[in-house]
Amino acid sequence: MASVELRGLVKRFGSFVAVDDVSLTIDHGQLVCLLGPSGCGKTTTLRLIAGFLEPTGGEIRVGERLVSSKARTLPPEQRNMSMIFQSYALWPHMTVAENIVYGLRLRKMDRDTIAKKLAAILATTKLEALAQRYPGELSGGQQQRVALARALIIGPETLLLDEPLSNLDANLREEMRFEIRRLHDEYRYTTVYVTHDQSEAMTTADLIAVMNAGKIDQLGTPEDIYARPESEFVARFIGAANVIKGTARDENHVTFAGATLQVVGAKLTAGATAPVAIRQHEIQLSTREPSSQQNTLKAIVTRQVYLGMFRDYMVETQDGTSLRLTTPTETAVDKGSEVWLTLPPECCRALGR
Amino acid sequence: MTTLNPSTSPARKPRIDWTRPVLWLFAAILVLLILLPLSWLAVYAFTDKNRHPTLQNFVTLFSNPDFLDPLLTTAIIAITSAVICCVVAAPLSWLVSRTDMPGRQTIRALVTASFVTPPFLGAVAWELLAAPNSGLLNQLYRLFAGEDADALFNIYSLTGIIFVISCYTFPFVFVLVANALDTMPGELEDASAILGGNAWTTARRITIPLALPALVAGALIAFLQAMTLFGSPAILALPAGFHTMTTKIWSLFQYPPKLELAAAAAVPLLLLTILLLQGQKFLLGRRGYSVIGGKYGAPRRVELKRWRWAALGFCLLVLLNPVFLPYFALLNAAFSPNATTLVTPSTLTLHNIVFVFTELSSTQLALKNTVILGASTATIGTLLALVIAYVTTRKVIAGHRILGFLATAPVAVPGIVLGVGLFLSYTRPPFVLYGTLWILLLAFLTINLPSAYQQLQAAFTTIHPELEEASRILGATRLQALRQITAPLLRTGVIATWCFIFIGVMRELSAAIVLFTSQTKVLSVLIYDLNEGGDLAAIAVLGIAMLVITFAVVMAVNQIPMSGSASAKLRNG
Repeated sequence: MASVELRGLVKRFGSFVAVDDVSLTIDHGQLVCLLGPSGCGKTTTLRLIAGFLEPTGGEIRVGERLVSSKARTLPPEQRNMSMIFQSYALWPHMTVAENIVYGLRLRKMDRDTIAKKLAAILATTKLEALAQRYPGELSGGQQQRVALARALIIGPETLLLDEPLSNLDANLREEMRFEIRRLHDEYRYTTVYVTHDQSEAMTTADLIAVMNAGKIDQLGTPEDIYARPESEFVARFIGAANVIKGTARDENHVTFAGATLQVVGAKLTAGATAPVAIRQHEIQLSTREPSSQQNTLKAIVTRQVYLGMFRDYMVETQDGTSLRLTTPTETAVDKGSEVWLTLPPECCRALGR
Repeated sequence: MTTLNPSTSPARKPRIDWTRPVLWLFAAILVLLILLPLSWLAVYAFTDKNRHPTLQNFVTLFSNPDFLDPLLTTAIIAITSAVICCVVAAPLSWLVSRTDMPGRQTIRALVTASFVTPPFLGAVAWELLAAPNSGLLNQLYRLFAGEDADALFNIYSLTGIIFVISCYTFPFVFVLVANALDTMPGELEDASAILGGNAWTTARRITIPLALPALVAGALIAFLQAMTLFGSPAILALPAGFHTMTTKIWSLFQYPPKLELAAAAAVPLLLLTILLLQGQKFLLGRRGYSVIGGKYGAPRRVELKRWRWAALGFCLLVLLNPVFLPYFALLNAAFSPNATTLVTPSTLTLHNIVFVFTELSSTQLALKNTVILGASTATIGTLLALVIAYVTTRKVIAGHRILGFLATAPVAVPGIVLGVGLFLSYTRPPFVLYGTLWILLLAFLTINLPSAYQQLQAAFTTIHPELEEASRILGATRLQALRQITAPLLRTGVIATWCFIFIGVMRELSAAIVLFTSQTKVLSVLIYDLNEGGDLAAIAVLGIAMLVITFAVVMAVNQIPMSGSASAKLRNG
């Protein structure tokens, strides 16, 4: 078992830069999610780690071993990794059992060992009854488990997952998220998990690397990423925060729509444009002027929708900025009403980027 | 924790980069196959007997009535056939694809039957039916009109040729248009209906414009077919005393050979083919707009109500000409003591069959040559196509696009043009192949490569690359992945391709006709020769044997899900 280290990794396709100077250390036994919208370079990064692509620059090390660099790329079969593909890539001409033991056969293990390992993994993934079926005869969830079993049975140093749940329906997806985390806790492989689904990343990952335009925008624990976004991209991508553009007055005050907001987060430079993130449920809405003047704004309701668990509001501040916020259902204000918004200082995060 | 000791993981040999040599080797083979004959063709076309550059060949070609007449005849045949094909194929494909006409699958199968009938065989069959004196239809007519009446039909005429060519060319148009109509989403028509368009408006404003590019593309292909066909005009025009371009080129090879003129005459055919194929590609490429957007339901079928059976009648009437009548004539000739006498239970004889397979000396040789050439072309061609398809679909080496282009390029070279080019290339040192089976092998290989390549490429694309990658990441080398994963999944596609090349070789006439010698006769050439000798019964027997083999393969391959419409892979020559 070993750590995986990316150093200044670059991959260009012609003039298009898919992966742009990515550095990332994944400690032994850690599960790291590469999270980002489609086209952000996360799958390319994964395929570079697997050895299906050769980097244009930078290097990849597994433990102390250099596996990829511009000069030399170890082919995938020599990396002792496993991968779960988006399409599962189960071989249609082999039974479930044949699919699963394929990697062991390549390693020339004797029949008894193979049989023992197969029985163990079939039990872990609850596939005993399906061992002699062909992949075409399985449901999506069963195929997914076969793909997992096939990847885990060889005891890889590193496990790679490429959007493994995107072909499952919503219920199954939620179940399999916890399943993947459970198996990871059991076997503790160094794991790289690629997804575009925020809650999938939050459930499974030790660390999340949010990627945008070929770069890692922010790396941190799920809590870091959600509660302390550092950039506008992360704030918007994770949990769809409002981002308002004010002007910094000093290092922790921002002028916005005629009001002064006290903020936390990045230290500001007076006079500069300051993006500030605030989550939809953290904005408080009232029809009467609040007693405290601190961090309050006037606004007009432009849309109000009842969603059962809460109400979803769209309001417009005096400078024409639209903010979206949610309130408990009892706060019912009609469209066109004037309201006061309170943006608690500890929830207003000034963003560095 | 079960971790593999690195030393037990697959061997770690230094990797040799085979990709470059492979690219060069295959590029060299393809260049040899295609560019060499075309280069010699160009050299001969633009030089005189002493290889001095001249344009005299083209001046002769475009001023001498001996050449201008065939040029004009070919133009007339090609244009009229293309028009007739469209007029027949458009309603037929609409009925089959978009209406509730009964027996739609049967009609499709019958069109496929006319598709796979070698055109020269169709021409012979129509000789049996409509030769002025002995033709079965003319005999029938005389039963009513009296013994001395003039023949009703004369197949040895321009009209006759156009008719027979159209019979075996309209399936090209049918396949393209039916395919366009099949894939056209029914919602597009429903959307027009819901906005207030009645059936006729919807057809005029939506259905027809959407199918039009396919129809025009079909017309171009029909034109191309009619222009480059050798067998039918040779069988029907020569007795009538006129030439088309292909027969003229062939006649220039007869003693005394005029190779420079033959080469020059091949040039316009080649250029026009390239031009028309580009046009077709352009038209079908733009057709993409008809399938924009997400999910669509199956097309809604137009209810013909009381016209249903009339429609079926129309289809069967059309198919009388390419299928029912000719097949009947061939069967009749095969089992009758006299090719153009109606067989009765008392005159039914197996003599023709016995004669052809045991007594006719040339049959043995031709069958042997055909089997040798068919098997070797199919084997080499499949291997070649397999490697190129792998390289292009998996993009394993830089420059894979060039290989793909070279492999499809022979599509633009009409059989007779290729024949001329090969003749010119391989009658001289260092490659004296003329008079051997090798030159025919090269011809058949080149002719069949594009469809073999396309078929295998389609087979490769159905195999998701992740299937190979999954095996690589679990420890298989590239070769192991190919052997254990890709090969078993490709097996049916490979077998189908092999069979199609074999059939293709069996049917090929227009290149073989300029390349064969008495010792290298093949089945198609034998049939042509037998026709010259008037031995129609023997042709019927050989032709039926040929058709049976073809149908067996086409039907078997149609059972394989991923190979698509099998008949579309055949090329007529």
